[in-house]
Amino acid sequence: MNTQDTNSTQSPILVMTNVSKAFPGVQALRSVNLCVLPGEIHGLVGKNGAGKSTLMAVLMGITDPNEGQIEIGGKTFSTMNSREAIDAGIAYVPQHVAMMDSLTVAENILAGELPKNKLGFINWKKVNQEAEERLKQLNLQLDVTKKVEGLGVAEQTMLAISKALFGNARLIILDEPTASLSRADINRLFNFVKSLKDKGVAFVYISHHLEEVFEICDRVTVMRDGRVVDTCEVKDIDVPQLIMMMVGEGVEDYTRDSTCTDEIVFVLNKLTRRGYYEDISLEIKKGEVIGITGLQGCGAEQLGKGLFGLEYRGIGEIKINGKEFTAKKPIDSFNEGLAYLPQDRYRFGLVGVRPVKENVTYPILKRLTRLINLINRNEEKIIVDEYIKGLEIITPNQEQPVRLLSGGNQQKVVFAKLASTKPNVLILHEPTQGVDVRAKMDIFRIIDELAKQGVATVVISTEIRELIGICDRILVMNNGRLTHEYKKGAKDTTPKNILAAIEGGKQNHE
Amino acid sequence: MKTKSSNFFAIILDNLIWLLVLAALVIFSSLSPAFRTPNNLLATLYRSAYLGILVIGQAFAMMSGNFDLSSESGLALTAMVGGLFLATTQNGGLGYEVAPGVAILIMIAVGLLIGLVNGFLITKMRMNNLIVTIAMQMILRGLVYIISPGATASFFPKGFTWLGGGNLFKIPMGKGFLGIPAAAIFIILAFIAAHIIIKYTQFGRNIMAVGSNPVAAKDAGIETDKVIRRVYLISGFCMAIGGLLIAGRLDSATPRVGAGLIFPVQAAAVIGGVSLFGGRGTMIGAFGGLLLWSILDSGLSIMQVSPFWIEASRGLLLLFAIGLDAIKVKGMHRKALEETLATSQIGLQDTNVVIE
Repeated sequence: MNTQDTNSTQSPILVMTNVSKAFPGVQALRSVNLCVLPGEIHGLVGKNGAGKSTLMAVLMGITDPNEGQIEIGGKTFSTMNSREAIDAGIAYVPQHVAMMDSLTVAENILAGELPKNKLGFINWKKVNQEAEERLKQLNLQLDVTKKVEGLGVAEQTMLAISKALFGNARLIILDEPTASLSRADINRLFNFVKSLKDKGVAFVYISHHLEEVFEICDRVTVMRDGRVVDTCEVKDIDVPQLIMMMVGEGVEDYTRDSTCTDEIVFVLNKLTRRGYYEDISLEIKKGEVIGITGLQGCGAEQLGKGLFGLEYRGIGEIKINGKEFTAKKPIDSFNEGLAYLPQDRYRFGLVGVRPVKENVTYPILKRLTRLINLINRNEEKIIVDEYIKGLEIITPNQEQPVRLLSGGNQQKVVFAKLASTKPNVLILHEPTQGVDVRAKMDIFRIIDELAKQGVATVVISTEIRELIGICDRILVMNNGRLTHEYKKGAKDTTPKNILAAIEGGKQNHE
Repeated sequence: MKTKSSNFFAIILDNLIWLLVLAALVIFSSLSPAFRTPNNLLATLYRSAYLGILVIGQAFAMMSGNFDLSSESGLALTAMVGGLFLATTQNGGLGYEVAPGVAILIMIAVGLLIGLVNGFLITKMRMNNLIVTIAMQMILRGLVYIISPGATASFFPKGFTWLGGGNLFKIPMGKGFLGIPAAAIFIILAFIAAHIIIKYTQFGRNIMAVGSNPVAAKDAGIETDKVIRRVYLISGFCMAIGGLLIAGRLDSATPRVGAGLIFPVQAAAVIGGVSLFGGRGTMIGAFGGLLLWSILDSGLSIMQVSPFWIEASRGLLLLFAIGLDAIKVKGMHRKALEETLATSQIGLQDTNVVIE
């Protein structure tokens, strides 16, 4: 661990020592050390679930660590609350900043300390003057009388950073600040951040765009499975090395044998919803698994929701097993043989406080009800037990509220729900999001098992490696159109090519 | 991955209402001989039957994540409509003097209509359920005064008053009789029926799902709006039955009947563990809430505690109950946050790594 290899003359602004945190079933952080110096932009990278957000949550005082200590500007804490973190000079700027959107920039800057005149009324002239002055100190040019909702994302981020600094923040956590920015905006934001860095402000920079890490960061800390793999000077390493550290060596990708048959199950013919997707024509065979990937906002998400009936579907022909598919509502979609796994299981997939059993059987209760609408509880129990066993869902019993299961098992409950409807077509939206490696393998096996039974599956995902492993075909969507197709086992089906196809779309777009 | 102790704690917290009911019974029984007579205990239940039926309606609404604050006025309106159709002109009626069965059907129709309008405004027009039902409360109360003869409609036929005021049967006891009031038995049966609906039917499952996570419920194929509309229909039906019970017990319908009743209704449901945030609670618990409320009322007044203190003690009880609910929800949120972090999604998606 070389936490303090350079600038040893400067005393660090933040030192986290041996911080550990366990959640039920997950050791989220294991003896993590992190050191940030004043005037440093410190990259923090790692895969999903590597522990970055837990570490930041500890730093922001949102959750208490089990062990370890945090030293900020000379003060030592073993636990702290959000207030103490803010007082210590920590500020968090998320991807989508939360501000008082309908108020002006000046009001947002001076909220809580608006200058008043003798009568106790707010002195608006002074408000704007003062806000302008403050922004000038940071060399940030914004129209202070403009409402925040009228600003661009980059400006909002810069405003949020400035506001944090006016509140005497010394360490600013930037969480994916560039995710929805154009290159020009990224440059403006980076210039601003660098100018602040020169003034001695420290940043923790979380991003999945590694080239940006190399562009802006001084040092980078890599996390994997709750541990810090290493902290390096950016100039000493390159991208492949960084990826190696993040992924770990010897990680083997999942692959499956194709179960694709010749029988066509699912046909989309020129499906179009203006502004989202256009001219989507697809034929998916029994047992076939196809992947659709693309940038956020490419339309794949809306396509999935539209097919299931959660959103307007647009016009075009859809057929399942030769029959016209006309379902307007999710329950009809289930009945007509189409099931959908939503992206965020906490918000969309599961009714968290209700038991496992109920979550599995919502769509099929009608079939389980007997005279005067009473549920046949024996039959229900048997069915649910079957899925718990079949999908290896780890739960003490059927009555356990789902939110008390681990992420992977929760996702399996969603799968059980979908499988119970005996679908012909399955649409999965980011099925492996936020589950650990073992659970991912289980989920791939479930997908494989369903495909073997003849389900035609569409996986909408940004996890290209995983798509290559499980899909018979991968389609790339750019601006609502399917632009590229990559077949399983073909030479050109590589992550690099697919990424290029996605990125290519981005460049065309701009 | 719950620990044993937190499990135990949760069970106690979930069934706390029955411990409180028991405690209240024991305390009042030991303090006052008048309280512990079977007659008084039955009468306590009998007097609060009309409150209880509204608690059922409210519990349905709250479990689905909604409120129905119009029920007190709905009860008054249905009672008044029934009264007007039944009573003779001398006794404030319209002079139709319809058969009791017809009057009851008309009342139920009025109640369902109220529920229909509430449900329509809330689901189709996307209006806020709290405001819609408060507005409805005012409108209906106004309507009661508009249609009422300016006074009371009273003296109804036996068939009409039986459920609210009659006895199921009488058991000879010592000097007199112990009457088993129909309303007391009825309210118990009503709670059992409601419990079965919530716990053992698809509709009940759907209500709970909609109440705890409407988006996920939709994704699970539940037609959330339809569920909410039905909930308001049930609430409307309960208003009509409440109107029947109170008009039967008083043998009259006054325009002011039920005014302010919505507070005890809410309170009893919340005390019984029905969550203000939807999706949690049981009908049995709500029944416990009703019992505790009524026992406290009856016990304190038998002991001749000043009505002002009774009012204050009700408030304290409500605060206590709502505090419990807040503690539960706080614990739940904390847990949810931890779990979100434990399986966090913020940050890197490894194949999004952009290789130059």
